[in-house]
Amino acid sequence: MHEEIRNTPLHDWHLSHGANMAVFGGYDMPLWYPSGAKKEHLTVLTNAGIFDTSHMAVIMVTGTDAFELLQLCFTKDLNACVGKKKAPLKPGKCVYGAYLNENGELIDDAIVSQIEHNIYMIVVNAGMGGDVARHMTYYAGLRDVEIIDLTDKIGKIDIQGPMAAGILMNILKEPEEVFDEMFYFTFKGHFDSRSTLAGTVKLTDGTPLLLSRTGYTGEFGFEIFVNPDHLIGTWEMLLAAGKKFDLIPCGLAARDSLRAGALLPLSHQDIGPWPFINHRWLFTLPYNDDGTGFTKKFIGDEALHNIEESEHTCAFVGYDLRKVSTHDPAAYVLDAAGNEIGTVLTCVSDMAIGRHGDRIYSISSPDKPEGFNPKGLCCGFVKVKPKLLSGQIVELKDNRRKIKVMIVDDIRPDRTARRPIKEMLKI
Amino acid sequence: MKEISQLNLPDDVRYAEEHEWARPEGEKVRVGIDDYAQDQLGDIVFVELPQVGDTFEKDEEFGTVESVKAVSELYMPIGGEILAVNTALEEFPELLNSDPYDDGWMIDVIPNNPDDWDALMTKDAYIEALKGGK
Repeated sequence: MHEEIRNTPLHDWHLSHGANMAVFGGYDMPLWYPSGAKKEHLTVLTNAGIFDTSHMAVIMVTGTDAFELLQLCFTKDLNACVGKKKAPLKPGKCVYGAYLNENGELIDDAIVSQIEHNIYMIVVNAGMGGDVARHMTYYAGLRDVEIIDLTDKIGKIDIQGPMAAGILMNILKEPEEVFDEMFYFTFKGHFDSRSTLAGTVKLTDGTPLLLSRTGYTGEFGFEIFVNPDHLIGTWEMLLAAGKKFDLIPCGLAARDSLRAGALLPLSHQDIGPWPFINHRWLFTLPYNDDGTGFTKKFIGDEALHNIEESEHTCAFVGYDLRKVSTHDPAAYVLDAAGNEIGTVLTCVSDMAIGRHGDRIYSISSPDKPEGFNPKGLCCGFVKVKPKLLSGQIVELKDNRRKIKVMIVDDIRPDRTARRPIKEMLKI
Repeated sequence: MKEISQLNLPDDVRYAEEHEWARPEGEKVRVGIDDYAQDQLGDIVFVELPQVGDTFEKDEEFGTVESVKAVSELYMPIGGEILAVNTALEEFPELLNSDPYDDGWMIDVIPNNPDDWDALMTKDAYIEALKGGK
């Protein structure tokens, strides 16, 4: 039986604007528009791009036991997850973590936002709303909690890039108030006009938004949640306001290459049905200060404790933009002696970076060399048996080529995601 | 993505199932990828071509093209010896997107089997193949 392919409310817009479409997560989504994935990738670093991300799933969890259920099911300790001081989550704050099964294997990653006391919004990947909602419902037992899958009841647009705040300035009511103290991983407003929060963030035409300073590109920007009826109008307002900033629509190909360069994992590719440990994203686990245990109990914790051996996920960057193919058959990782030590999870080209001397620069690096015009570098993630150290050289091999890559702690330098809004408004 | 009716498919070339084109030019045959292939691949950022003097059989892999996300193989539409390669693609791989039949040509081949040419599709046959999802 074929599963029905879904469309977002912007589907006709994408088709009428020449988008190259493909099915992703059960939705027919744009891969790139006529400007091309390379330009879309670069524009997010220099200006801004908008992405239709309405295929992402949204779950609302409410009730007096909502916090307790999330503490049980979500990897982050909501009592100790905000900022360097590990403050408790509170209304207006967001946190990134994961849902694991009893074996400590990934179900999906998620951003949890606390809307109000006892109300949480959870954004998971396309097609995963049902799975995560069922998982939480199973563990809810007799707790006083309601879990509602809102996937098709919310439209979502991401605006990402250094000009994002400047563009929103032109279409938000009272933008100074909205942007005041709007730090990375915080949000304001609500997409539901019945919410008391809905009045705090509105477009100039009165459309209520939930505006979140989060994203999936590594660059400065926002995720915008709206009622689906307002999705097309919001998209067009953004494009009109962004014209003088060279804002362009961007597809999933650019989103994928941007996220890999930003060291962000693709769920079910870089993190998946294997023990959620020994990877680049250990901050999503609630380790205590000395790293000997966890600060809370959660589904999957015992399995992670008891794992004696597990593979390691490491980031790499190549010496030019050539890639290996991670599809059938898999690409392998070879050590210096030519032994197979693991597989390649992701291999894409980040078109914004290049090597100069012994350093990697991005087109948005403030200290980039004069005339710097990178062709791009391949980058991604490998899963290997031995732990590899930063700076170590390995080879990636598929059925047509071998390429030399370096294991690294970071990939695309000088990302803008965490920069203050005030600084970005001066650009 | 282009509809079949929007594709630029010249009459003076023949087409292979893997979306390469071939155009006879005197003793040699010029080869590239067609408008359908470049449209499907999107932005091409790297091209790997063979050496002059290499010899390949029909359908043998002779190189790769890379888009931002993917690597795709190139297959010989006809067998023969490589007479020339388009070195401009090293610096400007985007020519494959902007001008796939002229400035974006890939290789010149001295064919070694006339039957290979006869097995290639005319424009009309190729359109039928595309409609059939081949």
